[in-house]
Order: sequence, then structure tokens, then C-alpha cells
Amino acid sequence: MTGFLALLRKETKALFSSPIAYALIAVFLLIMGFSFAATLFLTKSTSLIQVFFQASVLFLLIIPVITMRLFAEERRNGTLELLLTSPVHELQVVLAKFIASFGVIVAMLAPTLVYAVILALYSTPDFGPLYSGYIGLLAMGSGLLAVGLAVSAFSANQIVAATISLGVFLAMWMVDSLAYMLPDPFDQLVTNASLLAHFTPFATGALYLSDLGFFLSLTLFGLFLSVRALERR
Amino acid sequence: MTAVVEVEQLTKRYGRRLAVDSVSFDVGEHEVLGLLGPNGSGKSTILRVLTGYLRPTSGTARIAGFDVSRHGLEARRRVGYVPEDVPLYPTMEVAEFLDFMGRIKGLKGAALAEAVEYAIASLSLHAVRNLAIAKLSRGFRQRVAIAQALLARPALLILDEPTNGLDPRQIIEIREMIRSLARLHTVLVTSHILSEIEKVAHRVAILLDGRLLALERLDPAGTRTRLRVRAQGTSSLAIHELIARQPGVERVEPEAGPSATEGDCFVVSVTEPQIARGLVSALVEGGVGVLEVGPAPTDLETRFLQITGRQTLA
Repeated sequence: MTGFLALLRKETKALFSSPIAYALIAVFLLIMGFSFAATLFLTKSTSLIQVFFQASVLFLLIIPVITMRLFAEERRNGTLELLLTSPVHELQVVLAKFIASFGVIVAMLAPTLVYAVILALYSTPDFGPLYSGYIGLLAMGSGLLAVGLAVSAFSANQIVAATISLGVFLAMWMVDSLAYMLPDPFDQLVTNASLLAHFTPFATGALYLSDLGFFLSLTLFGLFLSVRALERR
Repeated sequence: MTAVVEVEQLTKRYGRRLAVDSVSFDVGEHEVLGLLGPNGSGKSTILRVLTGYLRPTSGTARIAGFDVSRHGLEARRRVGYVPEDVPLYPTMEVAEFLDFMGRIKGLKGAALAEAVEYAIASLSLHAVRNLAIAKLSRGFRQRVAIAQALLARPALLILDEPTNGLDPRQIIEIREMIRSLARLHTVLVTSHILSEIEKVAHRVAILLDGRLLALERLDPAGTRTRLRVRAQGTSSLAIHELIARQPGVERVEPEAGPSATEGDCFVVSVTEPQIARGLVSALVEGGVGVLEVGPAPTDLETRFLQITGRQTLA
């Protein structure tokens, strides 16, 4: 446990001492703030549905930038050899990186809670979709982080890792549009792999275990692949 | 002597390429074994298998009795490893880095603090303990890398090309350090430089193309029984005979080298190193000018070339 906590502290410090995290958080909040204000003034709606969709699309672009360096940089600097020849399990190394990067996602989303507070102060919003929207963003963020982490674990180059992650995320986001062209049951199978199809219920206030299970499975799959990537040597 | 490292029929393939081919050796307690070979001979691959970084294709490797594949964590607890490129976290300060490495090696509390202080003291890092690693010279970075390897007081210390990229003064420091570390640890050190291995190792394993060609015991400095004598006299033959007549002299071989004005050179095999003093007196009394007497360079390079059948080292 001491080893894991040391790894977690090192990863958190590395992420939050780098200007990349702050730049990403700032850009995210700027766009989200604009989106919230525009939606509020133009539609006079007391929901955050548009904001949640905006955030999910931004995740597709931002998460590859967070995950690209996690393993690729360690591999390039040779420090991965230092870690993996120490008496720690590969899973501990992977989990430390995953949890620290999840902290960046939480740090991105936490300030946006002020939007919910503003809505609550000046109106009576339906809190159900607010809760589910944030749960959905955290679940989707977790799944994307794990996949991005796995891509980074397989790659020695940060740019390659970011590009592949972005490609995988965009493909998973848009894959449901392919479903319209496919016959039954393939359309259903393709839709089941779609990020958009699983995120939409969260954003609109419907919380299904199947959607939560999808993102949880994606997270576990990404973590499993990351561990396998480290063990494959 | 208890074996700290036991390697049996170790083989490692990278796809079709055979990097290590059925290598077997062992290393005893407080012994320094040098792995010697040209670049690409499999030295680093063997070390990486021993440290658990690479999985062997076949064969076994054990550290203090723990199989590196089946009981990897236990084996790694007993190893301190300094990789060739000295990978460190440049943004960390020295003490912070050692604290981090100590924690991932399972140390905590007072034991961790004590281990960090021990490592800092052992490698004379007091002056740089609060400096960021990025600001350190190559020599200090090497010391920090060795310091982290010492934290958990491992039974086995593995140093991959520890003098690479260092200036002559730093090379001497690291060499002295390895000698002193051998009093407390078993040391496995690699180099492609013959003289480096000769100066620190008790035994040398000669590798070529992934195969172990020979395991040779080296005479430590001060105990060598091969002397190099350079002398000037009436004739080379007379000097040769004079040396050969002395008690304790087993064999005299003329050495090709300097011209006649620089004297005649002989490699003299003696029963014990102290014979040198009597030999000098005898030569002087015999009217021979003694220009130089010292330990003969070990013939490791010759042996290496004989074994490998190559003319030069890569």
C-alpha cells in the first residue's frame, strides 16, 4: 500500500505541476462557461443538457492530451524500467496513473457545479438530470481515460498515443450513425458500442444500469489492457 | 559460498532474434561478477531478465533463491538496479526522489528516513540533496541512481555500464564506490571495456552474440603473480637467464615491444608477488639496469580475442 500511495502522489504531483493540466482545465472552463451562458440567455432553459453534451465532446478532445504522456513519457525517459524493476505490481502502476488523471477530470468538472448553483438560486431546476448528467460525465471520463491509458501503454511516442486515442474516441462517438446502414442485429451491436448512445440517457436524466455498466466495462477493459501492455515485455 | 544469483540455461528471444542463448552462471555472496562483451552481446538483456523487466523465453534465473518469473516481487525486493541510461525523474529533488524510490521498495516511517540518510551518506550526496535532479552533473546523476539502488539494502546490486559517459575522475570515483559496495553486497556489473571490468570484478563472464563463452577468475590488484620486467643489460638472453635462475620464478617470457634503447621486456610468472623485491636486487647485483617492474597487464584482452576469435572489440 505504501508503494501504491507513493506512486499515486508522484502521478498527481506530476500532472498538477505541469502547465498542461491547468491549460486544459482553463480551456475547458472557458468553453463550458460560454456554452452555459449562451444556452441560458438564448433558451431561458433551466437544464444543463447542452452543457453536458458540450462537456462530453470536449472530453473526446482533451482526454487524449491528458493520457498521451502517462506511459509514453515514462517509456521514453527510461523511468518505466525503474518502476517495473521495483517491487510493485503492474496494476499498482496503472491504477496510480488512472486515479491521478481521474483527479484532473474531477478538477475540470468541479467548478462547473457553480452552473447548477446559479440555476438553483434563480429558478427551480429538476435536479435529477443534473445528478445523472454529472454521473454520466464522470463515468464516460473514466472509460475514456482507461482506454487512453492503454493506448499510451502500448506506445512509445506521445503524439502517436494522442492521435490513436482521439481516433478511437471519435470512432466510438460516431459509430451509432453507422448503425442506420446495418441490418438487424448488427445495428444493435454497433449501437451498443457507441459512446453517444450510452451517454445521452445520462444527459437527459435517465440513469440506466446498462449505460453505467458500459462505461464501467470500458474502464475495466482499458485498465486490463494497460496492465497487459506492461506485462508484455 | 552461497549463490545469490543462479542462472540456468537462460534464453531470451526478441521475435526471431536470439539475444541470450542458454547462459548459465552463478554469483556468490559479496562477489563482483563482470559481464563483458561487445555491444549487442546480451549483457543488458541478462540484467533485465534478472531484474524482472524482461521475461525469459526459457531457462531460470533466481535471486537469493527466488525465481524471477514465478516469485518476481520477492526477487525484486532483493535487487538494487542501476540501468544503463540512468533514468531519473528530472523534476524531483534528490531527497524527494530517494524518498519516493524507498516507498515503492516498501520502506516507510523511521526505516525509510534511515535508508534515505544512509544512501545520501554512502554516495556523498549531502550537498545536492535539495537540488532538482535536472540540475545535477552526469556524475551526480549516476550517484543518485546508485543511491536509490542501495535504499532497501539489497543482497544484489546490478550496475549496467556504470561508467558510461563519465569523465576520468568520475570513473575512478565510481570504480572505488563499486569496490566498497562489494563489501556489503553481491555486485553484477556490465561493461564493454576490458580494463573497467579488470579493475572491479573478481570474476568475468565473457559474452558474445548472446552466448557465454567463458567464466574467468581475475587476480585482484596486489596479488598478481605475473610481473612485467623492463631491463637493460649486455644481452637480452643474459637478462632472461638471470631472471629464470631466481628462486620463486616459474616462467620467463620475452615480451615484444619497446626498442633496444628502451630495454628488454619480460613477463615473469612468480610463485608470489613478494618475489619482485628479490628479483630487482638480483638484477641490480648482476649489473642489469632495472627500468621497470610492476604487475603485468592481465591477458584478458588476449583471452577475449582467443575466445571470440575476433581481432578487436566493438
